Amino acid sequence: MSGGGPPRKRNFKIEAFKHRVELDPKYAERTWKVLEHAIHEIYNHNASGLSFEELYRSHYVLNLLLHKLVKEGFLLSAYNMVLHKYGEKLYDGLQNTMTWRLKEISKSIEAAQGGLFLEELNAKWMDHNKALQMIRDILMYMDRTYVPTSHRTPVHELGLNLWRDHIIHSPMIHSRLLDTLLDLIHRERMGEVINRGLMRSITKMLMDLGPAVYQDDFEKPFLEVSASFYSGESQGYIECCDCGNYLKKAERRLNEEMERVSHYLDAGSEAKITSVVEKEMIANHMHRLVHMENSGLVNMLIDDKYEDLGRMYALFRRVPDGLSTLRDVMTSYLRETGKQLVTDPERLKDPVEFVQCLLNEKDKHDKIISVAFGNDKTFQNALNSSFEYFINLNNRSPEFISLYVDDKLRKGLKGATEEDVEVILDKVMMLFRYLQEKDVFEKYYKQHLAKRLLSGKTVSDDAERSMIVKLKTECGYQFTSKLEGMFTDMKTSQDTMQDFYAKKADELGDGPTLDVHILTTGSWPTQPSPPCNLPPEILTVCEKFRAYYLGTHSGRRLTWQTNMGTADIKATFGKGQKHELNVSTYQMCVLMLFNSADGLTYKEIEQATEIPASDLKRCLQSLACVKGKNVLRKEPMSKDISEDDTFYFNDKFTSKLVKVKIGTVVAQKESEPEKQETRQRVEEDRKPQIEAAIVRIMKSRRVLDHNSIVSEVTKQLQARFLPNPVVIKKRIESLIEREFLERDKVDRKLYRYLA
Amino acid sequence: MACGGRVRFNVGGQVFETTTTTLANAGRDSMLGALLDSSWNLPSSSSPPPPPPQGGGVPEYFIDRNPSCFAVLLDLLRTGSLHVPPHLPEKLLYREALYYGLLDHVRAARWGAFDGDRLRLAASVPGRAPGDGTAIRAAPDGGCCVAHGGAVHVYNWMLDERRPVSLDHSQVNDAAYLDASTLLVAARERRHHHRGGADGDGGDGGGGMAAFSAVSGELLHRFRVAHAKQAKPFTAGALAFDGGGASVFASCKGRLNEHGVGVWDRATGEQADFFYEPPGCALGDADKLQWLDGASALMVASLFPRSDNCFIGLLDFRAKAVAWSWSDATAAASALGDDKRVLHAVAMEDGRSVCVINQYDDLGFLDLRKGGGTGGGVRWCSRSKLMSRKVLLPGEESCYPRLATHGGQLFSSMNDSVSVFSGPEFVLTSTLRRSHGGAICDFSIGGDRLFALHNEENVFDVWETPPPPII
Repeated sequence: MSGGGPPRKRNFKIEAFKHRVELDPKYAERTWKVLEHAIHEIYNHNASGLSFEELYRSHYVLNLLLHKLVKEGFLLSAYNMVLHKYGEKLYDGLQNTMTWRLKEISKSIEAAQGGLFLEELNAKWMDHNKALQMIRDILMYMDRTYVPTSHRTPVHELGLNLWRDHIIHSPMIHSRLLDTLLDLIHRERMGEVINRGLMRSITKMLMDLGPAVYQDDFEKPFLEVSASFYSGESQGYIECCDCGNYLKKAERRLNEEMERVSHYLDAGSEAKITSVVEKEMIANHMHRLVHMENSGLVNMLIDDKYEDLGRMYALFRRVPDGLSTLRDVMTSYLRETGKQLVTDPERLKDPVEFVQCLLNEKDKHDKIISVAFGNDKTFQNALNSSFEYFINLNNRSPEFISLYVDDKLRKGLKGATEEDVEVILDKVMMLFRYLQEKDVFEKYYKQHLAKRLLSGKTVSDDAERSMIVKLKTECGYQFTSKLEGMFTDMKTSQDTMQDFYAKKADELGDGPTLDVHILTTGSWPTQPSPPCNLPPEILTVCEKFRAYYLGTHSGRRLTWQTNMGTADIKATFGKGQKHELNVSTYQMCVLMLFNSADGLTYKEIEQATEIPASDLKRCLQSLACVKGKNVLRKEPMSKDISEDDTFYFNDKFTSKLVKVKIGTVVAQKESEPEKQETRQRVEEDRKPQIEAAIVRIMKSRRVLDHNSIVSEVTKQLQARFLPNPVVIKKRIESLIEREFLERDKVDRKLYRYLA
Repeated sequence: MACGGRVRFNVGGQVFETTTTTLANAGRDSMLGALLDSSWNLPSSSSPPPPPPQGGGVPEYFIDRNPSCFAVLLDLLRTGSLHVPPHLPEKLLYREALYYGLLDHVRAARWGAFDGDRLRLAASVPGRAPGDGTAIRAAPDGGCCVAHGGAVHVYNWMLDERRPVSLDHSQVNDAAYLDASTLLVAARERRHHHRGGADGDGGDGGGGMAAFSAVSGELLHRFRVAHAKQAKPFTAGALAFDGGGASVFASCKGRLNEHGVGVWDRATGEQADFFYEPPGCALGDADKLQWLDGASALMVASLFPRSDNCFIGLLDFRAKAVAWSWSDATAAASALGDDKRVLHAVAMEDGRSVCVINQYDDLGFLDLRKGGGTGGGVRWCSRSKLMSRKVLLPGEESCYPRLATHGGQLFSSMNDSVSVFSGPEFVLTSTLRRSHGGAICDFSIGGDRLFALHNEENVFDVWETPPPPII
């Protein structure tokens, strides 16, 4: 048993010995010498004498030792510590050798004079890169095995870090490099040509050394210097340039900087340097630019300077609050000019001109927004809200817009193509959308349409219908149902008349031709007025028609609206001159009286015809007082009709025309009392609509407070008009009276719906 | 290179001739690439070029290495496919590949792109650790790690074991590969161990969460949870990180208020946010976190048996709100006979639904586009009858099922096998089963491999797709 010990001991020894033979420190030393020599040769451009395979292999062997140590590192013993020190020799030696070489290089760069400095730096950088690549080739195995496990820096990165620390951050080079770069950029900004290729190489070097190096050692100072440069330059420009020129200069500078980045700076700098230029050249002077006298935004808008406006938009879009500033200035300018336009009493004289002005204004700014502002939605909205604001400042806008349409559909569109009509109508619809009181427009439109239809003056049925369709899509069926009813009436009247003449031709003989429009009550804006006394010839035909019509349609009632008709009559004047007179029904009745008398007093005419006084006066005025159309003579001669006047047949009447159209003197625009009347009718019409809305709301909500009702009603009705809260309150009171609603017994502000 | 692009190598006495085009496949970042690079082959005035032209001016390089391995590697460069002769040990080949800098080429050719229906068992690696394994995680490069008690055993893609990782030897709850060389470990706080409290280490009682180097096993960073600006000890449960790679998430349970999901910046490792759990959402107990790229939200699932009721929610960190949630709290309470308990959940890759599984191995789907609610909402697929369930022998242990998705396929582990479901309707297309090793307690897919950890013998199986057939 005593011999049991030694064999075990020997076994152990052999195992351990085998292990340690490989870790010969001298071997590590020797290998390192070979590699160190190679590194020096590489830096001396003398690598062709080296065998890559041999170097790689010797380094590999050394590395196996290193790697083994790291892998077993957790078993560190004192003995391994010593070996470890040698093992690390490779990595540390590499670091020391490179450092030493870089210090040499640094001296030669420092020695370079003036302009050669950057070139020398660049050349040495290229050399270093190449050498680094070759060193990395040799030590590739170490990079893959030892480095990741021991948390060392990979060889390539180590080379870059050493370059950074010993070249870029060396006190003799660091500030000189920065100053040189900034000086070159400054010179380029002043118009000199510099070597951009070299600049690119240097900035790329800084980037290769890591984004932090580029940013700290170049970009930050570059941005600071740029900021002060542009701050100074913009100060100078703003004093001596007008807005358009200033913006041109700013744009050029901005493009220059972007170009600079694309040529020789890192792409990441673009956003930073442009934001510096934007801030210094635009944001800091934004308000001054916009409000610049004689050349600011308002002047550009007035003069349609699309190019300048486009530039301004493009530049201002880049800075915070830029566009909102532009928008605010544009809006206030639009509101101001619009307000002047709609309240200018001169403008109010001609409604067509008034609307045309609005349309021109809209076209002008639409074009600016589409050409210069890239169809920016927010600007379109600003334009729309401005128009909405000032169009509704004038409560006659609905009437005027309807008159404009009337003018266009009556005669303005003669010779215009279908597309032109569509364009004009679309524009009108745009204005219509801005109106708050759409029901007022409807009222007027109905009146004007009725006149057009009854006088047969509408130029194109298609255009009329197209307008109706547009109104229908905008406001819904309800809005246009009555307008459509008017068209139907026109059509059926035509058919009825054809039928009447076909069936009763023999009965009628040679009497005057009758053309009746049968208008459905309610669809048309008619005021009931008592029929006048028709001449007997006409009355006969009328009675025949009545008999025919009531014979075909039972249960209907016919009333004659003599105030709305027209007549064509033939008249022979002195010297045998024959003319065909186109007159209104009232005028016809008056003229027919002169078949049997040469002179009649006002009273006699009134008695014979029973035409309402106001109509009669207008009618006589147009027959006796209009130059060139005075088929009657009045005594005494004066512009106005009085009840003591006497009228005579004017047999001296002459006209170059065979057909003479004698219009009734009517104000095309409504007179003040008529306006009041229309307004009153509109208010009357609104009452049931408001009540209906209140009932609809209360029916679903059951209980609601006053303010909520008002806001809900306004919301429901704003497509047609803006109801006045006072009116809403009155309607609520009326509904309470009629026991649709009641006040809550506890909270008087609450209303309850009574089912 | 000149000479018609031909190159001659003398490797350990055996001569190989090839073209520069073939060698270009090795890349500049390899030993062969460097060997042929022009900077090493400059014509010199002082000395003759290193490879003396022999026989028709073709340059010859001598490499003092194993010729038979070189033949295999040269063949790999020529054809892109790896063929290892049976007599050649794999480890030898790997060592040579490392020498030439071709190890990545070998790995890429070693197995094919992952396809759940073509998987073959590549290896079974026995573990030494006692007791049950907690989790297995696949590394992006084909390696894996196995969490086991207080340690995580790390394997490289060659399935060599590296240094194990441990976080103060606390019980490991979850592990995750941040990248091929960084491993996150979530561990239980050790309450009885008050070492840190005394030496002013912020009351650090061990455990919590940390990042390790998967290569060397070193601790790289310890993630902290601060409550009221004071670092608190905590237990980290499940781990996840977002697709963009900006944030790391972990479910946390502290001693007082620190219950919820912690968020750390991946670059700095500093705490970026903390989502405190709202009432009814047991976020701190979550055992599955998953980032949903499309929804920019984090799926959190707290499941049986860690919590009594299953809760699945989507957290929106920008809105700081639970964007969607589902719970079986009421279903469990109501005695409707529906005793299906959700045991695992995974968000589908399209981000529109969550797949869940119950104790009968039924798959169910929750639609994320509809409101979650409680109880109902799960569209169960009654396909358990399709399964040829292995009848458990008495005494044999079963494991909770697990789910995973990859490349449009759905995977679920049930006892000793993994089922693969494919197509829009997720029909069963393959079953992976090994006859011994016991039930599968966890599996993971990554680096084009599937790792399945078996419960009984502590063995993990590696499944991989063979390279595509020649024709």
